[in-house]
Amino acid sequence: MSGQEAPKKKVSDMKRLWGMSIDLDKCTGCGACQVACSQENNMPIFEDDSDLPKRVVFLDLMKVTNEMDKGAKFGDVKVAYLPKMCMQCAGNDPDNPYPPCVSVCPVVATDIGDDGVVSQIWSRCIGCRYCQASCPYEARVFHWWKPVYEGSFKEGLNPDVSVSSRGAVVKCTFCSHIWKRERDRMIAKGITDINAVQYTPSCVSSCPTGAMKFGDLKDPRSPVYEEKLRRDPRAVRLVHSIDELRDTNPAEYDRRMKIKQFPNPKVWYLTGSEWLRKKLSVFEKS
Amino acid sequence: MKNFIELLRNEWNSYSKNTQIALYVLFGLSALFVIFAIQILFWGLGYTDMNNNFAMGLWIIGDLGLVALGGGAFFTGFLLYILRVDKLNPLINSTVLLGFMCYLFTFILLVFDIGQPLRAWFGYAYPNWGPGLLPISMLTEVVWCLTLYFCVLCVELIPIPLKHKIMDNIPFFRYFGHYLHKLMWIMAAVGTFLSFFHQGSLGGGMWGVLYGKPVWFRPHYFFLAIVAATAGGTAFMMLIPKIAGKIMKKEVAPKETFMTLARISGVMFVFYLIFRLYDLYSLTVKYVPLADRSYADILGGYYGWWVVIAELLLCLVPIVVFNVAKLREREKYYMAGLIAGVSAISMSKVEAVLHGFSVPNFPWKGFTVYNPTIQEWFIFLGSLAIMTLVYMWFARYLPLFPHLHKGGHGDNKAHT
Repeated sequence: MSGQEAPKKKVSDMKRLWGMSIDLDKCTGCGACQVACSQENNMPIFEDDSDLPKRVVFLDLMKVTNEMDKGAKFGDVKVAYLPKMCMQCAGNDPDNPYPPCVSVCPVVATDIGDDGVVSQIWSRCIGCRYCQASCPYEARVFHWWKPVYEGSFKEGLNPDVSVSSRGAVVKCTFCSHIWKRERDRMIAKGITDINAVQYTPSCVSSCPTGAMKFGDLKDPRSPVYEEKLRRDPRAVRLVHSIDELRDTNPAEYDRRMKIKQFPNPKVWYLTGSEWLRKKLSVFEKS
Repeated sequence: MKNFIELLRNEWNSYSKNTQIALYVLFGLSALFVIFAIQILFWGLGYTDMNNNFAMGLWIIGDLGLVALGGGAFFTGFLLYILRVDKLNPLINSTVLLGFMCYLFTFILLVFDIGQPLRAWFGYAYPNWGPGLLPISMLTEVVWCLTLYFCVLCVELIPIPLKHKIMDNIPFFRYFGHYLHKLMWIMAAVGTFLSFFHQGSLGGGMWGVLYGKPVWFRPHYFFLAIVAATAGGTAFMMLIPKIAGKIMKKEVAPKETFMTLARISGVMFVFYLIFRLYDLYSLTVKYVPLADRSYADILGGYYGWWVVIAELLLCLVPIVVFNVAKLREREKYYMAGLIAGVSAISMSKVEAVLHGFSVPNFPWKGFTVYNPTIQEWFIFLGSLAIMTLVYMWFARYLPLFPHLHKGGHGDNKAHT
């Protein structure tokens, strides 16, 4: 510490709104992000990790393919890999801008900060899984088993992240512990403006192709400036086709953006492939 | 000790062969409930082999069903004590006991469902209440309303054992029971108020607020659940005493009582069906399209159309039977109406949970299939078995049906 008393800051002084973009055209599906995430966040390894529905990961590498689509014959089958973590929904209701999971938690174990990160207090969670039911992105996972760290794995545990107990719901927090660590480092240097702090989550820093970008959605200099992403024809957000309406039907887009029933995620995917963009955002209607 | 064993043996031998078989089954299920309860509470939910695809177990369907059907207690109490429908008086003790057990087991099942049972009290200590009077989380409201209403049911239940001939001979208990009984209308009013909220919350509001999920979201779900509880709950409050009467071969309550409640239930089922049809319509044209989905497509997989159609068809039976005097007076039709009514409301809860969890969240995923694990089955069935045993015990040893003890009708055979 510099010895000077830090001026009192209100929480509302936070000007950052953390977000992420993932370029699927650059993503090779190597899984480095998933491994880095698990290592960084002390994810346990279980005897049978092929048991996907029970596996505990914050970042799931999902395989997306047009294999089941009509007309996708041999040669036309396409595959993409989708790094999917907590979408850090912002909510869309101006009076009550909660992500779907936050307002349902009976014990305030999860909340959204003014930096846009949806938190999860593992020691507060009672494991009711109501947040898991409410999440449209399947981003929350339940710890079914007591975490076990085999052999020397225990020595590699990250001291900045608590080891989650059995029976709690866990999820990605954009590695907010790194942000807190960086913030402490800045304060130690005498810089008390929290808006001066930047950080990179472990999945982004481990990506070998630079497909993942992280930054402030409100900062025009940021690689994930929201206004720029909105104008990007390659940008798409999961499950909702609302972003497509912006150019095709601006009136409907404005109407939908004012409706509460849109989680408004802060993770954007970028792809030039038409099939993939359609696959990510549109449910085939009969 | 020897005398006690002799007493138990005599008691056991006094039961018919069929009752003894039924008791074997019920005790067996209760024992399995205890075994799996120990496993889950001590070693965790991992051993149930549940998974993140169907994160909530079979017991949540039981939970929602018990609350909805137990909700008949609040509605019957409201009719008797507030609206003064005195004809319902012979059924009120049974109603209170059923309500009490439904709520007790709702709590018990909720404790099984949470991953951290030792933190169950966090709901009271750190409620997600927000700054205003209305709670933010529906589950917070459920926990508080259930607790308070359960307290009300305890107060309503206490006078029943106090009316037992041994207790009644002790002046303190007699007066205590008497004055508690005098408070009943206040309890009924408080109970109605509390039950109104938690019926809505646990039955519908809990799912209706999940705005990220097109399969669940609709703002009126809260009120739909209240109507469901008044319709299905009243049918349940008739069905159980009716079965008890058949087993005991006695008329546990006057036929007029059953018919009065049947008429009310029939009207409530009409309201429920209209509301449910509006619900399906609004989902199809308004709420599901908001999430870029089609309701017809959501009704796929194993738990799609047939569940909704079965629910609607089952709903029609009590509507026809209870609202047509000729039909409801005939015992067979009347029983069919009761069973169909209870099944319809239970089916609506099955639809909410199974259907809700099986619908894919991503376009590249299919519908999820659900197979309840052995623990889920036996915790669920064991709960029902314990409730049945408690009800049987009350019916045999306590004045659960005052009509039986008033003489005259008590020894008569049940209406057939």
